[in-house]
Amino acid sequence: MRQQYAVRSMIIIAGFVLVGLGVIVQMIRIQNSEEAMIFLSQGDRYAGEFQMFYPERGQIFDRNGHLLAGNRTVYEVGVSLIDMENPDGMAYILGSYLGLTYDEVYKKLTESPESWEYIVVQDYVGVETVEALKQLVEQLKDADDPRLSGLAFKPHLQRSYPENDLASNVLGFVTRDGRGYFGIEEKYNDLLAGNPVQIWVPRDPNKASEIPRVPNGTTLVLTINRDLQSKVESILDQALIDYGAQNGTILIMDPRDGEILAMAATPRMDLNSYDNYFSLYDNGSQYNRAIGMAYEPGSVLKVLTMAAALDAGTVRPETTFIDTGSIEVGGITIQNWNRDSWGQQNMVGCLQHSLNVCLAWISSQMGVQSFYGYMERFGLGHATGIDLAGEAIGRLKVPGDGDWYPVDLGTNAFGQGVSVTPLQMLMSVSAIANDGKMVTPHVLYSMLRDGHQYNVPSQYAGSPISAETAHTLNEMLAISLEQESSMALLPGYRLAGKTGTAQIPTDYGYDASHTNVSFVGWGPVDDPQFMVYIWLQTPTTSIWSSETAAPVFSQVAEQTVILLNIPPDVVRGQLTSQ
Amino acid sequence: MQGQATQIIHAYKQAPWRVQRQWIGAFLLVVIGGAMIAAIYLDVTARTAVAGREIQELRVEITTIQRENADLETRLADLTSTAVMQQRALTLGYRPVEPGELDYVAVPGFFKPEPEILLAAEDASPHVKIQPVEYTQSLLEWFDQRLKLGGTR
Repeated sequence: MRQQYAVRSMIIIAGFVLVGLGVIVQMIRIQNSEEAMIFLSQGDRYAGEFQMFYPERGQIFDRNGHLLAGNRTVYEVGVSLIDMENPDGMAYILGSYLGLTYDEVYKKLTESPESWEYIVVQDYVGVETVEALKQLVEQLKDADDPRLSGLAFKPHLQRSYPENDLASNVLGFVTRDGRGYFGIEEKYNDLLAGNPVQIWVPRDPNKASEIPRVPNGTTLVLTINRDLQSKVESILDQALIDYGAQNGTILIMDPRDGEILAMAATPRMDLNSYDNYFSLYDNGSQYNRAIGMAYEPGSVLKVLTMAAALDAGTVRPETTFIDTGSIEVGGITIQNWNRDSWGQQNMVGCLQHSLNVCLAWISSQMGVQSFYGYMERFGLGHATGIDLAGEAIGRLKVPGDGDWYPVDLGTNAFGQGVSVTPLQMLMSVSAIANDGKMVTPHVLYSMLRDGHQYNVPSQYAGSPISAETAHTLNEMLAISLEQESSMALLPGYRLAGKTGTAQIPTDYGYDASHTNVSFVGWGPVDDPQFMVYIWLQTPTTSIWSSETAAPVFSQVAEQTVILLNIPPDVVRGQLTSQ
Repeated sequence: MQGQATQIIHAYKQAPWRVQRQWIGAFLLVVIGGAMIAAIYLDVTARTAVAGREIQELRVEITTIQRENADLETRLADLTSTAVMQQRALTLGYRPVEPGELDYVAVPGFFKPEPEILLAAEDASPHVKIQPVEYTQSLLEWFDQRLKLGGTR
């Protein structure tokens, strides 16, 4: 009996052992079968997924920490087709909320490929619309109404500009594909955008810590002063109305370090509606006329001619010139702006009355080599190197060029036959306001990345003239403004500057009825802290800069001294002596 | 009497069920040991999984908060934009200042402070490792470190 039990026990044990062995053999077989690799790869596929992490685009601030470009939450509204129960109701509701037609939404919901599990109905939907839709989803859920079942909202960030069109020509804009166009957004696109990272995101929670952090794009702090920019834009807009000008530009720069404090241009675009670009601009050069459009500046260039002549020793402030009203250069007669003769003048008088004949005589006295050598050193015909996208390079014809004629030596001296951008002129003239040293203009003040701060150092673009020449001309221009009782003057502050009225070149010669008016000025004369450049295109109330651009300069200077806390000269002297 | 006791002990020692019990005891010991190890392993794995899931959720939360932060910052900038502030100032009865109305006072030692955005960056110390080693060190690394330290704390 006992042996019988033992046999049975052995049989049962053997059975279990066999089953166990069978299981083990089967396990080994499956693990090494041809299908094993397929199963493994299927397993891997569901073990996680590759996800692209886009860093938050860096913000842009003005020099006082006001946000100029940030990011705003918007939503992708989509539908999980597996969970959708009522496409008809869904199409009707989404159509009315998202501003789409019923057919449009219904087609998307019902005609998508069978393999699709999710479709995007609309992207970049605002928070208000999504909040309203979310409320409706809740209400329908409570009422067991399946019309919006499967509706999903995926939040993400979109570029946003709180100041709308303020400094739009400086900032540029970002399209929905995340690419920056114009200005800072284009120039520093790579820094602002950061580096998108594609990462394998495991579903296994044990591996969660393997997801690395994706750093945000670099935040930029600009040299622009938001309040000054706003004031200058208002002054420019009003000037266009007051003087009937087509377009205009006003630039303010610190001559000591090249920091651009304000850069206004027209037309400006609301950066949150960049779709309007094509209705506002015919081409890219119009986006920021301060750097993108070269023009013949006229008499403001006389400042450079005089600087060159003083530095070369061709003339001195007290050098006299008998103005007969005309001079012949290269076989062509050059006349003054009013075709009059002004008699005996010293060099201050030549600048004060803006005498073309006098300046043509000066450049002739200097000679081709010396004159063009100085103009080259002032950077004419070269880019300024400003850190903004879309800078144009003006043109300085020089002897040897096919289209250079001997008369150009005379006309170039008073800003005809040479093209510059407003910024180029400002940069060149900065040498006179900054002890002979020319500064490279820039709009980036600082970069912030991962808690590090990188300040942008100021750069000098050479010293075309000596400090002594700069001081002399500085004084001459201040006297000429004062003696002229210019509309550019600002009570309490001693300023230096020069007007410029330029006829516009056409295919048939110069059009005397239309002009570009400009003004370049700076102050205070004994310690220049700001430089202003003004360009108004074809004013209609007056063709003269002294009656249009000069008063605009005075307004800009007034706001600049207030916002930059520059006391009147007398007060400044008292404060310094304390 | 003593002989009887010796016999009982002998008989007990030689009882066949006693050997079986010893075998069963040893087997159960192995089973219980294995079960304990399995239970500890499961417990640790479960805790790790829960922690991992929490990390994942926290990451999502961080992303959400960062996005909300960016959004709020932009909304705040909307509310304090130049146009809005100018309008508010005019509504409150303010007007732009005229140059003659300004008084300038020299304050010794005063300098214009940097904007907050730059001050925050300067305060940040990017070289300081803020995460304690306990969060990055493996058990083996910790053990190795302890051995090298020779048991001192």
